[in-house]
Amino acid sequence: MKSTLSLTVNGVTRDDVVPDNLLLVDYLRDKAGLTGTKIGCDGGECGACTVLIDGRPRHACLTLAATCQNAKVETVDGLSRDGRLTAIQRGFHEKLGSQCGFCTPGMIMASEALLRRNPDPSEADIRDALAANICRCTGYVKIIEAVQFAARERTA
Amino acid sequence: MNKISPIQSIGIPKPLVDGPEKATGKAMFAADFQATDATVGRILRSPVAHANIISIDTSQAEALPGVLAVVTEADCADGYGVLPIAMNEWALARHRVRYRGEPVAAVAAMDVATAQRALDLIDVVYEELPAYFTADEARAEGALDLHDDKPGNIEREVEFDLGDVDAGMAKADLVREVDFHCAEVCQAQMEPHAAFAEYDAARERLTIRPSTQVPFYVHKMLARTMGMSESHIRVIKPHIGGGFGCRTETLQSDLIAGLLARKARGTVKVVLSREETFITHRGRPESHIKMKVGMTKDGTITAVDFTAQQRGGAYSGYGIVTILYAGSLIYGIYDIVSARFQGYRVLTNTPPCGAFRGHGTVKTRFAFENLIDGMATELGLDPFAVRRANLLVAPTMTENDLLVNSYGLDQCLDWVEKASGWKQRKGKLGPNKGLGMACSHYISGASKPKHWTGEPHATIHLRVDWDASITLLTGAAEIGQGSSTVMAQCVAETLGVDMGRIRVIAADSALTPKDNGSYSSRVTFMVGNASIDAAQNLKALLIEAAARKLEIAPEDVECLGEVYRGGQQDQGLTFEEVVMEALKGEGTLAVKGIYDTIPESWGGRKYRGAAIGGTMAFSYAAQVVEVTVDPDTAEITVDKVWVAHDCGKALNPLAVEGQVQGSVWMGLGQAMSEETRFHDGLPLHANMLDYRVPTIVESPPIEVGIIEANDPHGPFGAKEAGEGSLTGFLPALTNAVADAMGVRATALPLTPDRLLELLEKKARDERVSANASGKVA
Amino acid sequence: MEYLPEMHLHNPATVEEAIRLHDAAPASRYLAGGSDLLVNIRRGIEQPDHLVYLNGIAEMHAITDGPDQISIGAAVTLRELAESVLLREHFAAVAQAAGEVAGPSHREYGTLGGNLCLDTRCVFYNQSEWWRAANNYCLKYRGDTCHVAPAGKKCFAAFSGDVAPALLLFDAEVELAGPDGRRRIALMDLYRNDGMDHLTLTSGELMVAVHVPKMPSAIPTGYAKSRVRGSIDFPLAGVAVRMGLQDQLIADLRIGLTGVSPLPFLVRGLETFIGRRPDDACLEEVRDVVRRQAKAMKTTLTPPHYRRRVAGALAQKLAESIF
Ligand SMILES: Cc1cc2nc3c(=O)[nH]c(=O)nc-3n(C[C@H](O)[C@H](O)[C@H](O)COP(=O)(O)OP(=O)(O)OC[C@H]3O[C@@H](n4cnc5c(N)ncnc54)[C@H](O)[C@@H]3O)c2cc1C
Ligand code: SF4
Ligand code: FES
Ligand code: FES
Repeated sequence: MKSTLSLTVNGVTRDDVVPDNLLLVDYLRDKAGLTGTKIGCDGGECGACTVLIDGRPRHACLTLAATCQNAKVETVDGLSRDGRLTAIQRGFHEKLGSQCGFCTPGMIMASEALLRRNPDPSEADIRDALAANICRCTGYVKIIEAVQFAARERTA
Repeated sequence: MNKISPIQSIGIPKPLVDGPEKATGKAMFAADFQATDATVGRILRSPVAHANIISIDTSQAEALPGVLAVVTEADCADGYGVLPIAMNEWALARHRVRYRGEPVAAVAAMDVATAQRALDLIDVVYEELPAYFTADEARAEGALDLHDDKPGNIEREVEFDLGDVDAGMAKADLVREVDFHCAEVCQAQMEPHAAFAEYDAARERLTIRPSTQVPFYVHKMLARTMGMSESHIRVIKPHIGGGFGCRTETLQSDLIAGLLARKARGTVKVVLSREETFITHRGRPESHIKMKVGMTKDGTITAVDFTAQQRGGAYSGYGIVTILYAGSLIYGIYDIVSARFQGYRVLTNTPPCGAFRGHGTVKTRFAFENLIDGMATELGLDPFAVRRANLLVAPTMTENDLLVNSYGLDQCLDWVEKASGWKQRKGKLGPNKGLGMACSHYISGASKPKHWTGEPHATIHLRVDWDASITLLTGAAEIGQGSSTVMAQCVAETLGVDMGRIRVIAADSALTPKDNGSYSSRVTFMVGNASIDAAQNLKALLIEAAARKLEIAPEDVECLGEVYRGGQQDQGLTFEEVVMEALKGEGTLAVKGIYDTIPESWGGRKYRGAAIGGTMAFSYAAQVVEVTVDPDTAEITVDKVWVAHDCGKALNPLAVEGQVQGSVWMGLGQAMSEETRFHDGLPLHANMLDYRVPTIVESPPIEVGIIEANDPHGPFGAKEAGEGSLTGFLPALTNAVADAMGVRATALPLTPDRLLELLEKKARDERVSANASGKVA
Repeated sequence: MEYLPEMHLHNPATVEEAIRLHDAAPASRYLAGGSDLLVNIRRGIEQPDHLVYLNGIAEMHAITDGPDQISIGAAVTLRELAESVLLREHFAAVAQAAGEVAGPSHREYGTLGGNLCLDTRCVFYNQSEWWRAANNYCLKYRGDTCHVAPAGKKCFAAFSGDVAPALLLFDAEVELAGPDGRRRIALMDLYRNDGMDHLTLTSGELMVAVHVPKMPSAIPTGYAKSRVRGSIDFPLAGVAVRMGLQDQLIADLRIGLTGVSPLPFLVRGLETFIGRRPDDACLEEVRDVVRRQAKAMKTTLTPPHYRRRVAGALAQKLAESIF
């Protein structure tokens, strides 16, 4: 079965005919051409596909696109403003929160969600918020520093 | 007058040159490439562990509408393998399957559903054979050989006996021998394997973007497997989502993508699932190690006698190298005067193992550092004192002829001892808390490449044109470790120019010079040196041009990076002006830099395979781990890690810290939660829930001390930074737990259930001995 | 692109509509957050033709504070449960358990209903189609032997939801709606001791809400789970404890367990501890009672021995810490 899906992705309103069995992550990557969102596992185990739906983090790999009717979806592809890196993106870049970069889109979206609701997170808050996102490169030390940097930048 | 000076680029924390792409989602990984005509490649895998393939019938799959190609071993011109002496693999199983999950056939179809249906339509008839899932089973009397040319299922037996081990043991005040067991582990890099292959049917040419650390090897093996001229293949390395060694050899998925694209005469994307990525494996083998050490009362090690048996999996891969490293790298860190080793690399019906960060050294070092820690306790010695009693003095040559030109282990020890407050805190942390320490080392690239051709180890091209930008062309594979950044730094530093002038183009066989790839921590050392060489060559040209324009002798030109001048009073020429002058009559500048290792570093000849271990320089690391153990649940919390790493000159301290933290943490996963087991050869951990990569919650703070014992041959003195400190974590953890709980773990990972067993055994033993002494009294 | 079978998605706005839609098609499934169901569909364990999506049903999203009970809609997310001030005050163990499920992103969309109706888990079952086929499947799905206990005809796949044992402490009831109307049963009666068929829901029945009676006086409760990593992992054993004291003697003691058998359950025989002083000796006995009843089988990669021991240890620690 197919139906028309209307939603906004990174601020752009879209209407697409999608089959009911299409995963949101495949919709974003293959239909919308937004390949920033990554697939790192066979479902729900790694956090690489984390996107924001109506402002809250969610696994795009366990979400059917058709359930996102009228939703506001945000991915890493749409984060920078006027082509400039946002604070959280700068944090991951400048503080080396990103090595290979494969976990980075998911990490950044989960961090973004955290900072929006908690502009001044403690280290424990950061650990809690990123606890569903696996990184295999950094040992997380610099990821925490990246989020702390972004929190400072955003409030400054 | 303005003080102008060359711009400094090394020794300063630098974000990665390709960082912004990664933070914006623009970085293109293999699976991110799209094409309207791209078809979906899927692989049919063996459900059985060991069997003869009687027949493969693909006719129904081929007839299915929407299927563009079906390939089997019949489409492969030849086998392949990473070591020229052990090429016994095929992209698709040939006549026999040897592990569950081995690729047997593959399809390219219009969409996933069709591809899936096509796989279901392929009919394979197997004749099952006895299968062996442990090294012992495979070595048992009467076991069937997996490969005809490997009798007894021994991939390689390694032996050496250097110095007088028996005399050394006799001289010792304490001799201890312990069995160690380490589970198999997997790299579990975050990006599942993928390849995007485009076949230009009009010209019979292939362009492929594989998720690899070794584009050059993939290039070679594609040519072999496809029976194509190497000149008709172009390999472009996309962004790589980690590798840690599993991508240091060509993987079947790379080859299958090429085969499918050619047969489909178009574009094919092969993206493996996480399960398939685990099955592809190439991880660190399960190992049994028997370690015996002799020590005098003051901690001096008199002799080492050890054996290792590795379950290598079904094919050779890097196996020979792994088992050789497991022996040879007992040397190079301490002053070992005599050592005996016997190692067996065994072929089994499990997915092939490979090279994993810290290749070959990790389990040997775990056994050794764990054992000597226990011996130190028995002798009443401080663990630091035992290490210090056995230090090397550089420059030196080890007993097995490994070159050690720089050595900062002593400084590493000092740093972690102080930073962790060892002297004040050890033994005083209270119940169920403990401190443990250990050391480790690693090579900065193998001095002899596997494919020895007489070419230099590394080649770099620099191109400068009228726009005065510098394009650095390298074959080296940036995989997140920051190699492109290091090269740009080396060139910028040598020329004294702003790094912003430099654009790195990496690993595109149509554009960049050949490079062997990113493995054995060779890139910074070898490619860094080649970058410096190239920059020096460029600088010579620029100085000549500046001299011409300034009408002075080249020796009198003062190069200040962005300005070239004749002396203090001279206003000088800008970099752009110098470049314009240099282009006159020449056109675009294209210079080259190369690097080659020196023969003294090629390792020994004292036993067969002794060259494995030879390197230009060793990195050194020491670490202290602090733990708290919950005595009821046996859960271990790592409260903090202090690690000092001697990487010679830290070219990019930010990246060094990141590499060291990542290494230590990867050691933590291996030590505490990760393992790969099988149920009748079926992988039990082939997902990210059961393969327990640590989460951010239990990952400790890791404080890094950078020690710079510069190496005379290193680029600006630099050595390896991305592997050496992994290994030390494993023994430092078990040593800390021993300190906290009085039980010494010899099997890894030390999961709560394993620790609980040790604690319960200790409690039982104490009860028994209390009862016994009660009776006596 | 992931391969998923053809499916029809329905978006009902009311419970009644949902039931009708479910009833109309043979192979249909209720879809809540999907954090378990979609994993299982991707693995071929579930192959529904129709999915009835529950998110649009307003009635199922409310947490209502009544005079004697608190009602929680089945579509309330785990994050909402964990953050609910009301629940934290009255049913601390429930809020804690909800906050321990999976990881933070899962809790954003994983629901209470999905957690309570979670499929049972086993290392031979939660695998891909290729894997299970190569292993000749198993009793629970498509096969004829159990790889955990090959001699038997029973499935031991473990119920591994975190929230159920906490709710059991409070005599929670679930409100079910089906083609034949609504009914209310004790949460305990939602489950049966059979890994293959552990829910007593009749075909097409939907969980609308959970009703939890308020306790006459505040009794301390808590939840703890054992897992190898600090996040994401399912419980190797999960323990919910409710212990009230009067004059420093145990006046009320309940312990709920999850992860150790095909159903969540309350530990039996704890009455004997009423009136005793909760000293070390007493709590060690409690620990031993829990251990004896936590009959974990080899359904996880962590051996059953450990899960049994740790269930006891967690019960003891919780009892020590909550009062
Ligand atoms: C990596 C990972 C880790 C996890 N770790 C944990 C963990 O530690 N602890 C834990 O408890 N869970 C864990 N889960 C499982 C899951 O995320 C949670 O249990 C969650 O609460 C399930 O809720 P859901 O809404 O997503 O359920 P769904 O997936 O939507 O549904 C699950 C099942 O319940 C049925 N169902 C849902 N709602 C209703 C209803 N109202 N009436 C009738 N039937 C219904 C569905 O038909 C389906 O059979 C984990 C999942 C993943 C992917
Ligand atoms: S307990 Fe037995 S029957 Fe049940 S899922 Fe596991 S293997 Fe299958
Ligand atoms: S890809 Fe979605 S969690 Fe791993
Ligand atoms: S940066 Fe590589 S996985 Fe996180």
